[in-house]
Amino acid sequence: MAFSIVVKLSLLSLLIAFPFVTNSYSAYQLGLYLLYGIVGQGIALCWGKGGFLPLGQALFFGIGAYISGLMLQNDVGWGLVIVTLSLSIVIPFLLAGVVGVLVFNRQIGSGPYFSLITLALALVGFQLANSQVWLTGGFNGLTGINGLPNIDSFGSLYFVIVGALVLTTIILSKIMGSPFGLLLEAVRENEERLQFLGNNTSWIKAAAFAISGGIAGLAGAFFAPHQGIVTPQVLGFILSAELVIWTAVGGRFGLLGPVIGVVLIGFLASGLRDAFVYWEVIVAFVFILVVLRLPGGIGAIGVHLSRKIGLNFHSYGEISERSRSVPEVDKIITRELKFEEVTITRGSVVILDKLSFKIEGLGIQCLIGPNGAGKTSALNALTGKLEVDSGEISWCGGSLNNVRPFQTLSLGIGRKFQVPSIFPNLTIRQNIDLSLWVNRLKRNQLLSMVPYTWKSDLLEKLEEVFPFISDKSLIAGSLSVGERQMLDFTMTVLSEPSLVLLDEPCAGLSKAETETMIKAIADLSKSSKSMFIIVEHDMQVVELLSDNVLVMHQGKLIAQGSLAEIRSNKDVQRVYAGGTK
Amino acid sequence: MEAFATFLLNFVYVSAILALVALGLAMVFGLLGVMNMAHGEFVMLGAYSAYVVQTAQISFFWAIPLAIFVSAIFGFLIEWSVIRHLYNRAFDTLLATWGLAILIRKGVEVVFTRDYKSVNQVVPGTVELFGVNYPAYRLILISIIICIFVVLLLWYQRSKVGLRVRAMVQNPGLAAAIGIDIAILSRVTFVIGVSTAGLAGALLAPLVRVEPYIGLDYLLSSFFILVVGGLGSIEGLLIGSTIIGGTDAVISTIFDKTAGYMSVLIISILFLWLRPDGIFYRR
Repeated sequence: MAFSIVVKLSLLSLLIAFPFVTNSYSAYQLGLYLLYGIVGQGIALCWGKGGFLPLGQALFFGIGAYISGLMLQNDVGWGLVIVTLSLSIVIPFLLAGVVGVLVFNRQIGSGPYFSLITLALALVGFQLANSQVWLTGGFNGLTGINGLPNIDSFGSLYFVIVGALVLTTIILSKIMGSPFGLLLEAVRENEERLQFLGNNTSWIKAAAFAISGGIAGLAGAFFAPHQGIVTPQVLGFILSAELVIWTAVGGRFGLLGPVIGVVLIGFLASGLRDAFVYWEVIVAFVFILVVLRLPGGIGAIGVHLSRKIGLNFHSYGEISERSRSVPEVDKIITRELKFEEVTITRGSVVILDKLSFKIEGLGIQCLIGPNGAGKTSALNALTGKLEVDSGEISWCGGSLNNVRPFQTLSLGIGRKFQVPSIFPNLTIRQNIDLSLWVNRLKRNQLLSMVPYTWKSDLLEKLEEVFPFISDKSLIAGSLSVGERQMLDFTMTVLSEPSLVLLDEPCAGLSKAETETMIKAIADLSKSSKSMFIIVEHDMQVVELLSDNVLVMHQGKLIAQGSLAEIRSNKDVQRVYAGGTK
Repeated sequence: MEAFATFLLNFVYVSAILALVALGLAMVFGLLGVMNMAHGEFVMLGAYSAYVVQTAQISFFWAIPLAIFVSAIFGFLIEWSVIRHLYNRAFDTLLATWGLAILIRKGVEVVFTRDYKSVNQVVPGTVELFGVNYPAYRLILISIIICIFVVLLLWYQRSKVGLRVRAMVQNPGLAAAIGIDIAILSRVTFVIGVSTAGLAGALLAPLVRVEPYIGLDYLLSSFFILVVGGLGSIEGLLIGSTIIGGTDAVISTIFDKTAGYMSVLIISILFLWLRPDGIFYRR
C-alpha cells in the first residue's frame, strides 16, 4: 500500500473520531472548513496541476449554495435532494466550462487574463445576488433553509460532509493520475509543446476548470443546510481570495494540502481574529512568503519530511509495464506539400516573399539557406504558428492556411523545434507517454489507465538507439542538451506522422551525438512511410541525409534539386559566398 | 441638445478618469510585464491620502503631493522587496502582488477601520459649457488628466530616460549590454506607474466613497481597458477607456449598475475569445 494512502486513511479516521473526542460545536466548525477544503481541492487541480489560477472560485461555491438553499426552503424528500445536488454540481460545472473555453481559446500559458476574468465573475455574482432580491433575498440572503431530510445539521451532517470530502478526494486523485491529469500537468509544463503533440490545450484547461467549478458547487450545496442561511458573501471575492490563500498555504500540489490549509487557518482564525487586530495582515504576509519561498506550502514540507524518514510519497502509484500494443494510426497514402506564392509580412519586414515550391513522396528534404532566409518561418506558417498574409499552403490537397497548431498532428504533421522543447518537470517516461498518445488516445480513454501500458515497435527501436529514454523515473529537466534533443526527436516521431518537420535536430550535439542522431533519422526514413523536412546548417548532415535539397534566401526559394545540382547552382554559390542578388 | 451635451461631457469625463486609472497598470504591465494586482490598492492609498489631508485640515492641494509620495514609497518598497526578484516569472508576480493587495487592504482596514470615509468637494459649483451647467471640479479633472497624459507622452518619447525605457522593453539583454541599468530603470517605471494610480486616487477622492475595498473595481476596470484596447500604445489605452467607460455609462443608465458591469465583463470575455490582442495591436 502506498504511503500516501496510509496517510489519507489515518487522516480519515481522525476526522471520524473528531466529534467524539471534542465537542459538537468544534465538529460543526470543522464541517464548514472541510466544505471550503473541497473547494480548495478544485483550486489545486487548476492551479497546482494545470498552472492557471482561478481567483473567483467562491462564485461556483455560492451558486451551489443558492440552488440548494432555494430548494431546501421547502420541505423536500431525498429524491428532490438528489436532484438539487446534481443541479448544484452541473450548473457551476457548465458555467465554468463555457467561461474556460471562451477565455482559454487563444490564451497560452498562465497569463493573468483568466485569473482576472474569474475575479470579475465573482464580483458580478456578488452584485447579482445583492440586486436580484426576488430570487436571492438580496442583502439579507436566503433564510429559513431546512436541513437535509433526517439529518441533523449540527450532528450527523458532519459525517455526510466527511463522506463528500472522501468522494472528491477519490475522484480527484483518480483524475490526477489519469491520462487527463498528465495532460493537465503537461499544460503547466509546456503548453506550446503539448499543442504540437496534437492537443487542444484550451479544452483541457476548460475541462479542469469545469471540474473545479462542479466540485465547488457540490461543497456549496452542503453549505446551505449546514449554515441554514445563504447571503451574497458566499460568492463574493473575499471568500474567493481566502480560498486561494488557504490552498496556497496548505499546499496546492496535492489534495490533502488545501484541506489542511483551510482547517489550520480556520481554527487559528476563529481563536485569534477578534482578539488580535493584525491577524489578517499576518495571514496575507504568510501567503506572500509562501508564494515567494515555499510554493508547495505545508504539503511540500510534509512530503519532504516523509522522504527524510525514508517513506516515498508517491502521488501516481506504481509505474505500469508496457504490455499492450498501441492502436494503429491512419496513414496518409499520398504525401504532397505545396507552397504557392506564400507571403508573410510583419510591419516593414518581409518574412516570406512569394515562396513557392512543391515536394512529394517519401524521403528526406533538406531546407537550407543563410540565417534569416525564412526557413523556420516557413515551418511556422505550415504549422499554424505564423499567420499567412497571402498565397496558399496545401498538404495532400487540403489548405493549411487557417490551421491551428494542435490540428496539425491530426493531419499527420509532426514538428520538432530548434531549441529542444520537452516537459521539464515530468519524468522521461511521462514525456514518452504523452507522445505515444498523440492521435491514439480517444476521448473515452482520458480517465482510463490502459494508455499507460501502451508499447510500440518504434519506441522499442528508438530505445535501442537512445538507451536513456527507457528510464522510468528520471526527471526530463535533468537531461543534457544533447539528450533533450534526442528525447524531443523521439517524442516527435513516436506519433508516426506522415510529415516530420525537424528544425536543426543536431544543434548543440557533440560529434558522437550527431552521428547517432543522423543514423536514427536515416534508419527511420527508410523504415517509415513518412516524408521528412529537415532545416539544417550543418552541411555534413545535409550530405549524409538529404534526398533532395531546397535552398531559401530572403524569403524566396532560389533552388531545388539534388545536392550535386545545388552545389553547381550559380545563385546558391553567390548567396553562400556572400554576394547579393 | 442640452441632454446630449451633458451626456457628451459625462462620457469624456468618465473616459478620462478611467484612462488615468488604467495608465499605471498599462505602464507596469505593458512595459515590465508585471500584472500588478495591487494596482487598485494604490488608487485606494491615494484616496486615503486625500482623507488624511482633510482630517489634518490643510488645503486639499496637499493631497496630490502626499498621494504621490505615499504611493511612490510603497511602490519603491514593494519593487525592492518583491517584484525585482520576479521580473521573469510573470505568474509569480501576479500571485505576489495579489498577496500584497490583500496585505495593503488589511493594513488600511486596521488603521482606518472599514467604515466609509468621505472627502469633501473642494471646488463646488458649476461652469457653463455648451449651454449646460457642468460641475467645475469635473472640468478641472479632465484638464489635469489631459496635462498628465501630454507630459508623460512627451517624457516617454523625447527624454533620455524614455528612450532607455523603450530600449529596455524591446531587448532587455542588449539594453543591459550597452550600459543601461535595467534594475534601476524597471524600478523607476514601476514607481512612476503606481504613483499615477495614487494621484488618480487623490483626484477621485471627493467623488467616491473612500473605503479599503475600492481598489478592486479600479483594478478590474483598468484590466478590461487593457484587454479591449491592447497593450503597448497610448491610442489603445484611450480607445479602451472610451469603450469601457462608454458602455458602462450607457448600460448603467438604461438598466442598472450591475447590468453595466456585466456588459463590460462580457465585452472583455468576447475580446479575449475573438481578438486577444485588443483593438489597437500593431504587429
